[in-house]
Amino acid sequence: MPKLGTVTRTTLAAAIAALATATAATAHTTDTTITGAGSTFVAPLLAQWIDPLGSAYGYSLQYSAIGSGGGVAAITNRTVDFGASDAPLTADQFAACKGCVQIPWALSATAVIYNLSGAKNLLHMNGATLAKIFSGQITKWNDPAIRKLNKGVSLPDQTIATVHRSDNSGTTYNFTDYLSSASADWKSKYGRGVAVNWPNGTGQRGSSGVAAGVSQTPGGIGYVDVAYALSNHLKYFAMQNKAGKYATPGLKGILGAAAAQVKPDPKTNELSIVNPATKYKLAYPVSTYTYVIVPTSSPKAAALRKFLFWAVTRGQSYGPKLLFQPIPKPVLVVAEKTIAKIK
Amino acid sequence: MSAVPAPRLTARRFRAGDAALQLVAGAAALAACVVVALIVWKVVDGSLPSIHAYGIRFVWRVAWNPVLGHELYGAGSFLFGTAVTSLVALLTAAPLAIGVALFLTELAPRFLRGAVTALVETLAAIPSVVIGLWGILVLGPVLRDDVEPALHTALGFIPLFGPASASGSSVFTAIVVLTIMILPIVSSISRELFLGVPRELREGALALGTTRWEMVRGVVLPYARGGIAAALILGLGRAIGEAIAVSQVIGGVVGIHWSLFSGGDTLGSKIAESYQGGTTKLQVASLIYLGLVLLVFSLSMNLAAQWIVRRVARRQGVGTNRGGLA
Repeated sequence: MPKLGTVTRTTLAAAIAALATATAATAHTTDTTITGAGSTFVAPLLAQWIDPLGSAYGYSLQYSAIGSGGGVAAITNRTVDFGASDAPLTADQFAACKGCVQIPWALSATAVIYNLSGAKNLLHMNGATLAKIFSGQITKWNDPAIRKLNKGVSLPDQTIATVHRSDNSGTTYNFTDYLSSASADWKSKYGRGVAVNWPNGTGQRGSSGVAAGVSQTPGGIGYVDVAYALSNHLKYFAMQNKAGKYATPGLKGILGAAAAQVKPDPKTNELSIVNPATKYKLAYPVSTYTYVIVPTSSPKAAALRKFLFWAVTRGQSYGPKLLFQPIPKPVLVVAEKTIAKIK
Repeated sequence: MSAVPAPRLTARRFRAGDAALQLVAGAAALAACVVVALIVWKVVDGSLPSIHAYGIRFVWRVAWNPVLGHELYGAGSFLFGTAVTSLVALLTAAPLAIGVALFLTELAPRFLRGAVTALVETLAAIPSVVIGLWGILVLGPVLRDDVEPALHTALGFIPLFGPASASGSSVFTAIVVLTIMILPIVSSISRELFLGVPRELREGALALGTTRWEMVRGVVLPYARGGIAAALILGLGRAIGEAIAVSQVIGGVVGIHWSLFSGGDTLGSKIAESYQGGTTKLQVASLIYLGLVLLVFSLSMNLAAQWIVRRVARRQGVGTNRGGLA
């Protein structure tokens, strides 16, 4: 059957051609696949970047949201091209990572969520009271300290149940950094870190664990990143800043807080913008930068530089709808300088 | 049991095959030993900084403070949590599992046996993370709203049954989750053992005029006793080592609380929670030290359980070593 033979041969030739193209295509993209791992906080923003990065440079971005801690471990072991962490690296982590730099590349906030049936959203709260709640000194919703902040709101005689992260988390760092700044007592007893020695309450894994814990615990209070709180319709506090104003964790509040420190630490690029001074009237006091961690010498240096330049400039425009405030100019300048060091 | 030399009769004919068998089986056994030795070495090596810093006192110190400048670590509360959750889970699972096995072999109508057996074995196949999620979303709230208050009202004078937990995450929830996880292991092994009881023994007992319960108590259980003990040891091992599901429901609290309804933590769960992204060398070393404590604890629990089984078997003198434990 010669006819069938021809058909088969043509099909085969086409198949081989297709295979060759496919191989060529894979060969092309494997050169420019940029892999990263870490913070779940920035994961939604990175997801927005995949398409535009592909069309701008042909890069394919692969990001695993395994948590800030995991991201630091991954870049330390060089199993990825970059790590992402919401908490700045500690001295030990810097030493272990051998020649890594951290670059502030996104700016957002932590929402303090609560579950109180019948209560409205945006009840008022301040740092000193929150520190007392999480250290177990305030145990009831109708405590005078909470009532004083919420005049005219009837608060029930209900026990407060605090929920915190049980894994190492950048959100915990931001939250305890804030409590340490707002309460000397908290600072001396518990301090700040990606995990601390919580005096009471229950621990849950991940933002989803904390959200589940709070939404299932009548009277519960916890903390998650603001995008998570909004997308899951959780109630969160309006936090009183040093100026005495109540700010919500929106773009305006985050921008207000970012004004407090625009010069990153010259050695580590660290920026702390929690609980800024009285003159920052709009500031939401639990705001934070989140960082990308890259080695200064990388086999993909050229691609990494291009990707990161794009991320801190054009990439920022994808932020606002996810409640990431574009990073301010002076921070951008420092970020670009640091990116240029990747060789 | 030590290796039995091949019978002389067939030795000549299958010498090559015997040699190959000896080699492959020996290599497999050796590989298992080498892997254990390597793990022990790595765990000890990894925990050295913490061993140097804290010594043996680490084992019972109740503390876990990872904040820079305040660092202090100890295994006390996790060791306590592991012991309480695994032992209580075993105590609850044992009668349930044996009951399930007896039902399936002695009591259930034939058409039910296959279906129930399959379902119980499916329970063993559910990934622990899924059981943990179910623990947070379904089991925890039910225990908190209904079971814990009832137990507290009825038995509140015993310190074990304090006020109900606020969040549904508690040592008690972890115990129930672990019970569910070890139940299918113990029950399916027990079922096999009960099926292995010779027909003549049962029929003999029934012919002597015993009731069904007397037959079970006098023949089936003594016959399978050693094997059931082995199944329980397997279940205990599972409960001691389970990390993910426990970390999802136990509430991650450091400290020793007598009430089952307060939060706690176990060795495995603490390692699973904190290992990723440990911030200092001392913290990472202390987490590995927890692994060492877990290793020693599960080994000694295993040895103790085997010792108890042997003593019981010797005293009773019936049905020893079914299930190939010793």
